[in-house]
Amino acid sequence: MRSIRHHLSLILPLFAILFCIEYLMVFDRITESHEKSLKESYSIILVADRSAKLSDISHRDTLIERVEKIDAENVLRRIKADMNPESAEKIRSIMPLFFSIKLKRYADGERIERLRSELISIPGVRDVHIFEKVHDRLYAMLLFMKISFTVFSVLIGAISLLLLVKQMTIWQFEHRERMQIMSLFGAPVWLRSGVLFRLAVVDALLALLFVVSALLYLVNDPGVVKLLDAVGATPERLFRFDDITVLAGVSFAIAVFSAGWVVLRFKEEQ
Amino acid sequence: MRNVIEASALKLAYPRHEPVIKSATFEVRTGEFVFVTGASGSGKSTLLKSMYGSMPLSGGELQVGGIDMDSISGSKLYKLRRHIGIIFQDYKLIREWSVEKNVMLPLIIAGFPKDVCRAQAQKLLTHVKLSHKSDKYPPELSGGEQQRVAMARALAHNPFLILADEPTGNLDDYSSQVVWNLLERANEELETTILVVTHHIPEMFSAHYRHLMIENGVVYEIH
Ligand SMILES: Nc1ncnc2c1ncn2[C@@H]1O[C@H](COP(=O)(O)OP(=O)(O)OP(=O)(O)O)[C@@H](O)[C@H]1O
Ligand SMILES: [Mg+2]
Repeated sequence: MRSIRHHLSLILPLFAILFCIEYLMVFDRITESHEKSLKESYSIILVADRSAKLSDISHRDTLIERVEKIDAENVLRRIKADMNPESAEKIRSIMPLFFSIKLKRYADGERIERLRSELISIPGVRDVHIFEKVHDRLYAMLLFMKISFTVFSVLIGAISLLLLVKQMTIWQFEHRERMQIMSLFGAPVWLRSGVLFRLAVVDALLALLFVVSALLYLVNDPGVVKLLDAVGATPERLFRFDDITVLAGVSFAIAVFSAGWVVLRFKEEQ
Repeated sequence: MRNVIEASALKLAYPRHEPVIKSATFEVRTGEFVFVTGASGSGKSTLLKSMYGSMPLSGGELQVGGIDMDSISGSKLYKLRRHIGIIFQDYKLIREWSVEKNVMLPLIIAGFPKDVCRAQAQKLLTHVKLSHKSDKYPPELSGGEQQRVAMARALAHNPFLILADEPTGNLDDYSSQVVWNLLERANEELETTILVVTHHIPEMFSAHYRHLMIENGVVYEIH
C-alpha cells in the first residue's frame, strides 16, 4: 500500500507533464492547419511596370514569404488572335507585370495596410490589390486559445515539477540510510544508487504507459472523434506514434534527472 | 611484520568542537588482536571512524593498510573500505533488506555472483547461530540478534582488518562467547588484524592481546 502511494506521487506529476506536452503538440497541429488556411485566404496582386525588380519586392517586408510572377501570356495570346501582330507586340511592351504575393503568416488588417503602403512606395509599382476575406475575429480567438492553453500547460508543468522535487526530497530521506551504509562498505556510486534509478525508470515507464493508453482511448472514443471532426481535425492529429518518442524522452529525462539529483545531493555524514 | 595501522600525533575533532582525540601515537601490526577501552564519550568510536575514512584528520598522520588517510580520495577510500570489516556500535543494518542480503552486502560490492554470496552468507549466519532468521528483516530482530548479523556481515568478505565497536554490548554471556570465538578464529586462521572497542576484556584473551586505552583525548598503550 505504502509503496503504491510512493509510486503514484512520482507517476502522477509525470503523467500531468506528459499530458500537457501531448496536448500542446496536438493543439499546435490543429491550429497549424487553421493558420495555414487563414494565411492563404489573402490574395495580394501587385501591378508594376516592366522596370520593377522581383527582388526589390520580396525583400521589402518581412511578412512576405515569396513573390510569384503571374503569367500574362495566356491573356495576351487570346487578344492577339483578333489583332495584327504589330499592335499585339505594342501591347505586350506596355502591358504591366502582375505579381502574386504570398505571406509568411496570417496578419491583421492594420498590418496588411502597412504592407500595402510599403509596396506602393516601391518605384515602378503602380497598384496593389488586396482581396481579403476577413478572418480577424476567428484568428484572434485561435491565438487567444493557443496562448491561454500554453500558459495553462506551463503552469501545470511547473506545479508538477514542484511535486516531483518534493517527492525526491522524500526519496532522498528514505534512501539516505541505505546509501550511507553501502558507502561505508565501499559500494561505488552506481551500485548504491541503482535502486533509485530503477525506481525512477519504472515510474517513468508507468507514467508513459498511462498517458499512451489514455490517448489511445480518446482517439477511439466516438464522441471525441466527432468533436475533432467538427474542428476539421482527424484522429491522426490527436495522436501520432511519433509522439511516443517525444513523451518517452521527456519522461525518462525527468525521472533520471530527479534520481540523479538525489544521488548528487547525497553526502556521507560523520 | 607490516603495520596495518600507524598513527602518529593523530588529532581528531568535530567541526566547531574541542578535539576528541588530542594525540594518538600507536601502531598495529598484521595479525594483532587489539582492545581499545576508555570511558563513555572518550572517543573510541571517533578513533574507529578515522580508520575507515569517515572522520577527517585535524592533525598528525594516520595510515591504514599502507594508505595515507589524510589525502585519501573518493574511489581509493571505497576500495580500502571493501577490504575492511566493520561492526558499528549501532549495527547499521539495512532495514529494507533481509538478514541474508545484509550479510551478503560486502560480497555484492566485491562483485561475487549471487549464489556465491548467498552460500557464504548462509555459512556465516550459521556461525552466529542465526541461520533460521535469514529471511527476516532487521526490525524484526532483537538488539543482540542484529548485532550478530552485523558480526556475520563484517566477516563475510574475509577482510584484512576488522574494526568492531562494542560487538558484545548487547549480548548475553553465551552469545558474547560466540562472537569472541569467531573473532579469535578469524585472527588465528586468516591472520585478520582485529581492533575491538569494548568495556570488558574477556579472560580468554589474557595471553596475547594488546590493549590501548583512551583517557582525556590521549591514547595510552597498556600492553
Ligand atoms: N557527530 C558529532 N558531532 C559532534 N560531536 C560528536 C559527534 N559524535 C560524537 N561526538 C562527541 O565526541 C565525543 C566522543 O564520542 P565517541 O562516540 O567517540 O565516544 P565513545 O568513546 O565511542 O563513547 P561510547 O563508549 O559511549 O560509545 C563525545 O563527547 C561526543 O559527544
Ligand atoms: Mg562509541
